[in-house]
Amino acid sequence: MSGHSSPMVNRRGFLAAGVAGAAILGLRAPARAAQPLKIGLLLPLSGGLAREGQSCKRGADVTPALLADMGMPVQLMVADTETSIDTARTRAEKLIADGAQVLIGAFDSAHTLAVAQVCEQRGVPLVINIAAAPNITEQGFKTVFRNFPTAPKLVTEGLALMKDVFKTTGTTPTKAVFLHNNDTFGTAMAGAVNKLFPTLDMPFPLVETIAYDGAARDLAVEVGKAKATGADLVLLVPHGDDCIRIIREMVKQRFEPKAVVSPGSPGMYEAQFYKTLGKYSDYCMTNLPWINPKTAMSQALLKAFSKAYPDALFEMNIGYTFEAILIAADAARRAGSNDPKAILAALPATNIAEHVMIGGPIVFDAKGQNTNTRSATIQNFGGKPLVVLPSDVAEAKPVFPAPGWQQRG
Amino acid sequence: MSRQAILLGLLLAAFALAPLVAGPYLLSVLVVVMYFAYVGQAWNIMMGFAGQLSLGHTLYVGLGAYTAAALFVHLGVPAALGLFAAAAAAVAVGGVIGALGFRFGVKGVYFALLTIAFAEFTRILFEHIPGLGGPAGLFLPVGDRGGIDLIHLRGHPLMFYYLILAMTVGIFLLCRRLVRSRLGYTWLAVREDQEAAAALGINVFRAKLTAVMLSAGLTALGGVFFAFYYNNLFPNQAFSMNRSIEIILAPIVGGLGTLFGPILGALILTPLGELITMATEAMGFKAAGIKQLCYGLSLLAIVKFLPDGVWPWLRTRLGLEPDAGGEGES
Repeated sequence: MSGHSSPMVNRRGFLAAGVAGAAILGLRAPARAAQPLKIGLLLPLSGGLAREGQSCKRGADVTPALLADMGMPVQLMVADTETSIDTARTRAEKLIADGAQVLIGAFDSAHTLAVAQVCEQRGVPLVINIAAAPNITEQGFKTVFRNFPTAPKLVTEGLALMKDVFKTTGTTPTKAVFLHNNDTFGTAMAGAVNKLFPTLDMPFPLVETIAYDGAARDLAVEVGKAKATGADLVLLVPHGDDCIRIIREMVKQRFEPKAVVSPGSPGMYEAQFYKTLGKYSDYCMTNLPWINPKTAMSQALLKAFSKAYPDALFEMNIGYTFEAILIAADAARRAGSNDPKAILAALPATNIAEHVMIGGPIVFDAKGQNTNTRSATIQNFGGKPLVVLPSDVAEAKPVFPAPGWQQRG
Repeated sequence: MSRQAILLGLLLAAFALAPLVAGPYLLSVLVVVMYFAYVGQAWNIMMGFAGQLSLGHTLYVGLGAYTAAALFVHLGVPAALGLFAAAAAAVAVGGVIGALGFRFGVKGVYFALLTIAFAEFTRILFEHIPGLGGPAGLFLPVGDRGGIDLIHLRGHPLMFYYLILAMTVGIFLLCRRLVRSRLGYTWLAVREDQEAAAALGINVFRAKLTAVMLSAGLTALGGVFFAFYYNNLFPNQAFSMNRSIEIILAPIVGGLGTLFGPILGALILTPLGELITMATEAMGFKAAGIKQLCYGLSLLAIVKFLPDGVWPWLRTRLGLEPDAGGEGES
């Protein structure tokens, strides 16, 4: 399943975009390096985070061919962290011992920090594709560069985008109820939402927070409780297929809020959600970093991805993993060398205007954090997620309030 | 000098001299080997010697890790002092669990379930303590990465290598002394037949509780190492069920209730995982999870063909005598 309409952009167009981007950045014309850059990619391909890790890997799989067209040959050395901090650290050492010149990873914040310590010790750059703990870039590391928003930024933008939805549609809800999965992810998100909500001048009160067991087969009580609050907006932080049971129960109980919005969590934009709920999956919104549907680079990536994985979701993990590899390759090209020290020297000056995720140019601050990341609002239409905000990259206009469950064709 | 002592001396010398020839990758693998040998040995006191099954032993790893880390992060208490608090916290919790279980006659798998319940309960509790980072984790400042500061446990990976080596040797010597002591013999008696031990006048409750508390305290020291080596703690990882299983694998594979079993088990399991990864990569198998499949099959083979563990079998092949304290007699 792909999430975007796909104007035809071929690899030649992609190369042109890359060359144009390089020219804009004042870089020399891409010259194919004699040796490909050896990139060690650390991902949780098995264990508890296997689903997310494999999604990242699918993005990595299609990247070398695209970058080769831009004169940036890379050789990926993929290692499975097995969702274990011990393995993440030893795999990082192994990749470096095997000649990796840059490491990328590692999805989980704990694993990423373990890998970062290895990289710092060995003087090898680490480009983080995904890991949100703010502390990673607060440790004073000189070798760590993160192209992913921190957790507080994710939640802040996830909430703030709701105000933009109300402003764009001219409708504001009167009160909201917050339902969240009570697992580690959901609890962390709930903590952040409850902490940040009062500081963001939201135009509606949060009348109740309801935690639920994501493994429970029946969520009637929780949904009934939410309905009883009289809220006309549901903030939902699911983690997996629990959102399917929540929506089903809402339909069953005829609980019809103006919208169901996630301030940043997986679930409501995934294939299983569409497949199981059909028309009831439509109009649900999720605020999170997303792929910019309007750049030539993202379209080329989408095309390559859809060809390689026609049934897989084209989403955030793919985009950020592609970009991490792009950042490393771009630094090596600017450095004119694959030597880790030269790449380390080039990384702070990264300035990539043309890339695939929504947001400004990829640049790093003194701590190695890209401060130009930006979240988007995606809304489900006809069984696929479309970007509805920010308006400059939107594929459709946001629909709020959503039509009632029985008013959908 | 016995052949057993010579073997141990050679092994210790090999580990002590390994940094002279091994690269950082191999050293990082050896750190993991020794870590699991250490915590496996600590668990072995409770299960192997006293016969009390704990399937939630990561509770003590997490408690030790969080206690020392929180004292360091919030109060600047060095790890060298924090470890006492860490051990005390784990001993106290172990004492509560043990007293609760043994006082009410909770035995066998039901006691194991109790240990799992406490580990899960503590994980959820720690996810709701904002001062410890909650589910967003507790991070230790990484600080000096080149020096050697054993007081604050900040420094070069080689420092951590020799530290965990010293801990593993230390717990081995402690356990060796324990199994030959009066307390050790009471544990063995309780393990073999609780009723018979009680009939002989052994205070079964006290013997079992001592094993739990000692095992908990020593495991917590492993947690302190874990916290300062990785520099971050998350409740879902520090208290995870997976971690509990990992802790008990080495002594089970190596030989339950033996002194050398946890070390041999860790020496087999961690390198086995690495070798399987290398072999599958070399053969071109790129499917995720293939390692786990091979690893699982290897474990099945070990359990099937060497149900008492590898060490009792190997010891017979090497012509070594069982330990005087009853090692390997189970």
